[in-house]
Amino acid sequence: MGEVILACEGLKKRYGDLWVLKGIDFEIERGQTKVIIGPSGSGKSTFLRLMGLLEPPTEGKIYFEGKDVYGSGLDLNMLRAKIGFVFQEPSLFRHLTALGNVKLGPKVVLKMKDEEAERKAMDALKTVKLEEWAHHYPAQLSGGQQQRVGIARALAMDPDIILFDEPTASLDIELTWEVIDVMKDLARRGVTMLVVTHELGFAKEVADEILFMDDGRIIESGPPEELLKNPKTPRAREFLRRLIGGV
Amino acid sequence: MFTFENFLFLLQGVPNTLAISFLSFALGFALGIPTALVKQFSPFGLGHVADAYISVMRGIPVLVIMLLFHFGMAGIIPVFKSAFLSATFALGLRSGAFQSQIFRGAINSVGRQQMMAATSLGMNRWQAFRHVILPQAFIVALPGLGSEIALLIKDSSYAFVLGVLELTKYSDIVRKATRSFLYPYLIAAILYIMITFPVANYLDRLGSRLKTKYGLR
Repeated sequence: MGEVILACEGLKKRYGDLWVLKGIDFEIERGQTKVIIGPSGSGKSTFLRLMGLLEPPTEGKIYFEGKDVYGSGLDLNMLRAKIGFVFQEPSLFRHLTALGNVKLGPKVVLKMKDEEAERKAMDALKTVKLEEWAHHYPAQLSGGQQQRVGIARALAMDPDIILFDEPTASLDIELTWEVIDVMKDLARRGVTMLVVTHELGFAKEVADEILFMDDGRIIESGPPEELLKNPKTPRAREFLRRLIGGV
Repeated sequence: MFTFENFLFLLQGVPNTLAISFLSFALGFALGIPTALVKQFSPFGLGHVADAYISVMRGIPVLVIMLLFHFGMAGIIPVFKSAFLSATFALGLRSGAFQSQIFRGAINSVGRQQMMAATSLGMNRWQAFRHVILPQAFIVALPGLGSEIALLIKDSSYAFVLGVLELTKYSDIVRKATRSFLYPYLIAAILYIMITFPVANYLDRLGSRLKTKYGLR
């Protein structure tokens, strides 16, 4: 058993009168890749934002490397720095170049010297194969390139885990491939990843486990071959039939 | 008779007009950003103080603020013995309230997603503002700031009432000396346009150019 990086227990989230998450237990170990699938409105993105410590839970506990995040007065910003996050919407800092985007975190949060942060950032941009685009602004990059810079921005912080919230949902198909290729590469390098996506090819190839979410709960989970071929719950079966069949 | 010498004499008012306008703009800038941030975050419940400041400044004619400072408060606050400084502070205080509104609109336009991205890197609120939100907000604010400078240049003419030797005061002196009623004010009007237009127009264009470059809305 590897070290558990991120876990939660009885996680619930309410917006107004609406319970979006209704009790989730989850854990992910160092080096694992887990993929979350499920219909829209099932709470996937909310779950990810909570695990990224971007929003507090209404009930339940989140553990980072075994420590109760909200229960022991930990510095949330210190923890957020160790949890990378790649968003669905374009979220690069628009006034900074690709390089500027990637080196800002190491510089401002990790207090690295400029040259050191820049080296770190260039390494991360190489990993996503964008070193030649380092000096371009987000507005000059394609959607796929922007998402890869977003991945590099997370990588440059040397995070213990990276969370991906449907990183290809707003991209054309070819752009989706270039982003997915980078993510597969990361998974093979042993980066710990929790990914919300409907790219089942990605899930089949690199996921250790797929979690199916519906109505604020994880209702089924298992290794990709098992869950994708023989889903046990009717909801998952129906969802996968539509996703694969396109109907 | 209005002569070329009169024109040159009148020009001597320009430096004070510029000085009042740009100093009050700088003061307004220095007040505007903190006020916008206080209104945004309301630390220690100070949001109401910012609201009150903005309402008061929006509700009083700037000429009345100048008169109040120079004639009413010079005894308590020695700085206001100077007509020049009274005018500058009055305009600067009002501009601070106006600029805070410009910045607040600009900050809101930058959007929550940028804040969320900064937060996800582990930045605290101040770091996120300093490195991510404000630089973008500043670009969005440029056209608004251009209009604000134009407004200050024009309203610096109120300082004439306090006896400050600026452009309007000089044109009035020339009017009295030459008995020419049209030209002194007409020349002053043209000079005001010549000062306000390039400044406001430059900031407008710079704003649109940078917005396009960075893909800001």
